[in-house]
Amino acid sequence: MVLLWRWVSGIPAYLWSGWGAVASLCLLLAVWEAVSITLGPLILPDPGATFGALWQLLAGGVAARELLLTGQRAMTGLLLAMVLGSSAGLLAGLSMTAAMMARPLVTVLLGTPPIAWLVLAMLWFGANDGTPVFTAFIACFPVIFVGALQGTRTLDHHLKDMAAMFRLPWHMRLTDLYGPHVLSYLFPAWINALGTAWKVAVMAELLASADGVGAALAIARSQLDMPVTLAWVGAVVLTLLLVEYLLLEPLKREVERWREVQA
Amino acid sequence: MTTGTPVPRLAVHGVSHAYGLHTVLENIELTLDAGRTLALVGPSGCGKTTLLHLCAGLLTLQGGHLHNDFGRPAMMFQQPRLLPWKTAGENIALGLKAMGIPARERRQRAERAGMAVELDAGALAQFPHQLSGGMQSRVALARALVLEPDLLLLDEPFSALDIGLKAQLHQWLLQEQARRGLAMLMITHDLMEAVRLADTVLVMDSGPGRIAHRLDLPRPALQRDDAWVHRSTAHLLHSPGVRRCFGLPPLATGPHPSPDAGDAGMAQVITLSPVQYKRSLAC
Repeated sequence: MVLLWRWVSGIPAYLWSGWGAVASLCLLLAVWEAVSITLGPLILPDPGATFGALWQLLAGGVAARELLLTGQRAMTGLLLAMVLGSSAGLLAGLSMTAAMMARPLVTVLLGTPPIAWLVLAMLWFGANDGTPVFTAFIACFPVIFVGALQGTRTLDHHLKDMAAMFRLPWHMRLTDLYGPHVLSYLFPAWINALGTAWKVAVMAELLASADGVGAALAIARSQLDMPVTLAWVGAVVLTLLLVEYLLLEPLKREVERWREVQA
Repeated sequence: MTTGTPVPRLAVHGVSHAYGLHTVLENIELTLDAGRTLALVGPSGCGKTTLLHLCAGLLTLQGGHLHNDFGRPAMMFQQPRLLPWKTAGENIALGLKAMGIPARERRQRAERAGMAVELDAGALAQFPHQLSGGMQSRVALARALVLEPDLLLLDEPFSALDIGLKAQLHQWLLQEQARRGLAMLMITHDLMEAVRLADTVLVMDSGPGRIAHRLDLPRPALQRDDAWVHRSTAHLLHSPGVRRCFGLPPLATGPHPSPDAGDAGMAQVITLSPVQYKRSLAC
């Protein structure tokens, strides 16, 4: 009952907080329109033309097909990175030596631009799905690895003593002690990685694939079709925002309710 | 404390402990029987916490013997140490969950334990960061008492609380002890707290940590009033040896608060044979 009430009473505030974001986006559209009028539609088509082109892509089913394809590649890379990065980070976090050895390696990985990996991936995998999947994976892996590593290393040893004193069995230590703590570090890392995977997959497709959103962008660019180019950019951004704010953000709020700062 | 009885007991014989080359405990002797309270007091760094952690099994014994008959120990730490991602109620039920008690029963028992320390259903549904420090301490107390422990280890759990709240928590502890014959081993640097709760106060000296003085307090803890506690604490503080342990300057000649002739509850500070300690000068 308390939970339900808290949820219901939270809705107006959440929606109201959305107005700020809407206002800021409207301002962006206004600036876009103004720049488009100044520079002419060949350089920057106005928002109306762009959304018209987007609508046509959506209505024709082209957008859904290409987005799904790109999404599949990005998610495969992301999932691989989530599984391998989380488990490797956890294991490294359990040992001081492994953590110290891993840090410089991860810094190197984080510092390597995705475009460099892309070039290598093109040489290794050619023009098939492997290239965007690998590039997305390698761009996400260090981000998730660091999240898991920090989560495991920062668990308060006082809480470990407490768990020992109250004789928590090993499975409870996982679900009630390590799990929630590590998850509070992993979750933001996963969300961060999702954005990276999506963007990197599009980039990889643009240079190395014959289909997917990236390839569609490349075709639109080669045809100098500005409205369609921008429409694809819009589709990429909108998809990411929808997934993040409709799916992940509420999920995160639920998982991290205990962190909520009381007003 | 009599020996050879079947009551559960915690016995520590000749225990020493070192961190690397640094000896923190030397030749510690103590026994604690069911239903009794033993307070270890001493300056910071005298090894009190190490000794308590040894008794709790959180540290591995290096030298000496430790015999513990108590089957259900519980501990209150210096900070409440609640799991931040669990509500107060779930925190109280943590030990019950570890024992494999079904969810429904442990919720009921946690509610009862919460009620005993005046935490209502609203407070139990909150997360630790939403509670005040005093409420967090009460959650920690309920989490320990809900297990119905036979031995309670207290690691200065009340040091950060105001005197009113402290007195209330003391009362709850003493009532629980009177009800179930719970043994308590507490460490504190608050002499008054030790004198209020304990049947025996052991004063520790540092460098390396060892038990230097002992004070037995025969009057039952629930019958001690403030005036008695103040007098007994002053009495303890007038012992030159105890003053040295805490690094206090020797007293100028002044009236010693000698125990009233009629007060059977007052006792003498016994300085333990300094011969067995290498640095007999210190105490």
